[in-house]
Amino acid sequence: MRVAVVGAGPAGVRAVEQLLRAGIEPAWIEEAPDGGGRIYQRPPPGFARSHRALYGADAKRAQALHATLDALKPRTDWRPETLVWNIRPRDGVLDVVTRGTRPGEIRFDALILCTGAMDRIVPVPGWTMPGVTTLGGAQIALKAQGAAIGARPVFVGTGPLLWLAALQYAKAGASPALVLDTTSFLTKLLATPGLLWNTPTFLRGLRYTAALRARGVTIAEDATPLAIEGEGKVAALRWRDSGWREHVAPCDAVALGWGLKPEAQLADLAGVPFRFDAAQHNWVPERDAAGRSPVPGVYLAGDGAGIGGAEVAEHAGARAALALLEDHGRSVDLALRGHLDGRLRTEARFRAALERAFPFPAHLARRMADATILCRCESVTAGELREAARLGAPEVNRAKALSRVGMGRCQGRVCGPPAAEVLSEALGIPVEQAGRLRGQPPVKPLPMPMVAP
Amino acid sequence: MNRAVVIGGGLHGLSTALHLARMPGWQVTVLERRHVGRHSSGVNAGGVRRLGRDLREIALSVVSAEMWQDMPALVGDDCGFTPGGQVKVAESEADLRKLEARAEQVRALGWTHEEVVDRAEVRRLLPAVAPHVVGALVTRGDGSADPMRTVMAFRRAAQQAGATIVEGAGVTAIERTATGTLRVVTPDATHEAERVANCAGAWATTVARMAGEEIPCGVKASMMIVTERLPRFCEPTVGAASRALSFKQTASGTVVIGGGHQGLNDPETETSTVLFDRLAHAARIAAELFPCVAGARIMRTWTGTEARTADEIPVIGESTTMPGLFHSFGYSGHGFQLGPAAGAAVAELMARGATNLPIAPFTQARFAA
Repeated sequence: MRVAVVGAGPAGVRAVEQLLRAGIEPAWIEEAPDGGGRIYQRPPPGFARSHRALYGADAKRAQALHATLDALKPRTDWRPETLVWNIRPRDGVLDVVTRGTRPGEIRFDALILCTGAMDRIVPVPGWTMPGVTTLGGAQIALKAQGAAIGARPVFVGTGPLLWLAALQYAKAGASPALVLDTTSFLTKLLATPGLLWNTPTFLRGLRYTAALRARGVTIAEDATPLAIEGEGKVAALRWRDSGWREHVAPCDAVALGWGLKPEAQLADLAGVPFRFDAAQHNWVPERDAAGRSPVPGVYLAGDGAGIGGAEVAEHAGARAALALLEDHGRSVDLALRGHLDGRLRTEARFRAALERAFPFPAHLARRMADATILCRCESVTAGELREAARLGAPEVNRAKALSRVGMGRCQGRVCGPPAAEVLSEALGIPVEQAGRLRGQPPVKPLPMPMVAP
Repeated sequence: MNRAVVIGGGLHGLSTALHLARMPGWQVTVLERRHVGRHSSGVNAGGVRRLGRDLREIALSVVSAEMWQDMPALVGDDCGFTPGGQVKVAESEADLRKLEARAEQVRALGWTHEEVVDRAEVRRLLPAVAPHVVGALVTRGDGSADPMRTVMAFRRAAQQAGATIVEGAGVTAIERTATGTLRVVTPDATHEAERVANCAGAWATTVARMAGEEIPCGVKASMMIVTERLPRFCEPTVGAASRALSFKQTASGTVVIGGGHQGLNDPETETSTVLFDRLAHAARIAAELFPCVAGARIMRTWTGTEARTADEIPVIGESTTMPGLFHSFGYSGHGFQLGPAAGAAVAELMARGATNLPIAPFTQARFAA
C-alpha cells in the first residue's frame, strides 16, 4: 500500500510515526526545507538559538517533536521543499514541484493531509503598506530568521497568538507600542469555565498578559483598529477604545491576526466536502472524529482539518494514521486508540471555549469602508465587491468572476473569509450562504520554468 | 407585440436579445440555465480579432470590428476593449512566406486589414519578442476586451432595452402550439413566442434536437493560463504562424496564455478540467517567444466549454424542421469578437426573416451533403 503524508508539522510527524510502527513507509512531503510546522518551525542551519529561547513554554514539546521528526525522516521517502500543487483523486496522483523547478508525480493508495493553518485577516485601511504583516508572519520572522518586524511594533487582533507574539517580541528586545485586542475582557471571562478543560494552557494565557503589563506595554481590550497610517511605510495605528475615544499609537510595524483558518485547498481538490463551522467561523473539510474524510482513502489531521492547535494536531495525526491502518485491515494499538480518542474529546471542549473567548470580529469585516482594499493581490476594494453583489452575485465564486476578488497570487486564501463577510452583509444573508472560494490547481503559484523548461 | 425567447445567456444570446429588444414591437425573454456568462462567454481570452479569420468569417468579423470600435454607443460601456493590435509572428522564413500568401489571399478578396511586417517593425510592436522572430502578420485596430465585463454590459443593455433575463431556467422542450406559435418549456414555466433563438453554445445541439433537428457539432474546452503581474512589456495580442498560441498582457499586468490547447470536457456535468501536461506545452511556446515570461509564476489555469463544428465556423440560420427557431452557435472558440454583429444578424433574421449582414456561409445546409 502506497501512503502519502502531506505536511511535517505536529500532525504529520505523529501520523508518520504510527505508519512506520505498522511497517508502512510513506512518501512524506513538506513544503518547507524542514519539518516542525509553523508552530515549531526550525531556524535555518547555522542559527544557534536554544529551544527554550525559540519556543518558550513549548520548548519541551518542540524538542520532542523535532527529535521524532529527525528519527523518522530517513525511514520514509522524505521530500522537503516540495509543493503539492494539485491532486488527481481518481488517478491517486499528487502533482508536485520540488525546489521550485523539479516537477514530479507521487502515486498513492491512501493519503493523510496535514496541511496546517494560516492567519485569518480582517483588512484595515492601510494594511497593504510595507511594515504590515500577520501575527504568524511576525512570529516566523523572529523564530526562523531572528529578525523583528520593527523596533516599536503594534499587535492587533485576538486570540492566544496575539499575546504570545507580543510577549516574544518584548523578550527579544523590541518595545511593543500597543497590543490591541478586539475582544472584551468580559467575553474572555465568560469563557473561563470551558477554558479550564486545559488548565495549563489557560494559565499560560493569563501569564502572557500579566508579563506584558509588567513590561509596561499598553494593552487595549474591546478596541477597534481604524487605520494604519504612514507615507509609504507604517508610522502609526489609529484606533478607538471601548469608550469610543480615538487614539493614535506611533509605531514602525503592525502585526494583524484574528485566529487561524485551515489551509484546506488540497482537501478541496481531493474532493472532500466542506461545512461551515459556526463556532470557529471557518469552513472546514468534513471528517469523522478519527480524521476519515467522506472520500475513501483520504484522511485529515491537524489545523488543516479544523483549528485545534499543536497539541490536538499531534493526537489527531496519530489517530488519523490508526484510522487509515484499520480501514486497510491492519490491527492497531487499541490502548493508544482509546487514549487518543479521550484526549481529542477533552481538547475539543477546550477549543470550543477558546473560540467563545476569542470570537472572529465579523462585524469589522462587514463594516469595511467601500474604499478599503479587500483583495490586495488584485487591488479590489470592498466597494467593488459590493458592486458585484448589486450585479447579482449570489455567492463568492460569482463575485470573484465579476470583481476579481481572490484571483491573484494568494488565490483568495487571505481575502476569502472577509470577502464572504462583506458579500453576506451586502446581500443580507448568513455568511455560510455566501459560500467559500473553491480551490483550483495550482493551489499556489507555479513556476513557469517547471512547466516550460 | 411579438414575443421572442432567446435560449442561452452567453454573449451571443445577450447580443441577439439586445438587438431584437431595440426593434419596435418585440418583447424578448432570455432563458439561461445557470447564470449569465457561465461558460466560455465569461472566461474566454477576450481576443477581438479579425486577423487570421477563416475567409468565410471575415466579412462578419469586419462588421463586428466596427461595432467594437464604438462599444459605448452600443452597450454604454467600452467592455475593456483596448485596440492594441493583433500580431501573428513568423518564426522562420517558411512561416513568413505562409503569412505573405495569407495576406495576398485576404487582399484578393478586397480586405486590407492584414498587413505583413518585417523584422524591424515586429520588434517595434513587440520589443520583448525572441530574436528568432523574422516578421509578422498584423492587424492594427484589433485588440482584446474583458470578457466578463463585456457579458455584463450586454446584459445590462439588453435589460435597459426591455428584455427580461431569467437565470436558472433550463429549457427542456420546444413545441409548436395549435395556433402556430412556439412554446418553450422550462421546469418552472412555459414561454410562448413567435420566434425562438438557440444560442446555447456547447449545449445547442441538444436544443436543436428538441426541435427534431440533428446538426453535427462537437464541443471543446480550451485551456488558459494566467501568470502573476509583470511589468508592462507587450501591448498587442500575439499568435504564431505555425504553433498554437494566444498571448496577451492584460491591463493589470498579468499574462494570459492560451491557443486552443484542449482540456477535458464533460457536457453532462457541465464541467471541464485542465490537463497540465498539455498546458505545459502552451507555456513552453509562450516562453520561447517571450523569454521574459520564462521566470514568471503561473497563478491560475482554467477552461471554458464551447461548441465546435467540423469546419470550425458557426451555424447561423433558421431551423429546417421548426420554422421560427433560429440557430446561432458553434463559434468554435473564436466567437467573442463576432458577438456584436452576429447578434444583430440573428435579431434581423428573427424579426424580418432576412438580413443584409454577411451570414450566408454559416447555413447548416452545408452539413447536409
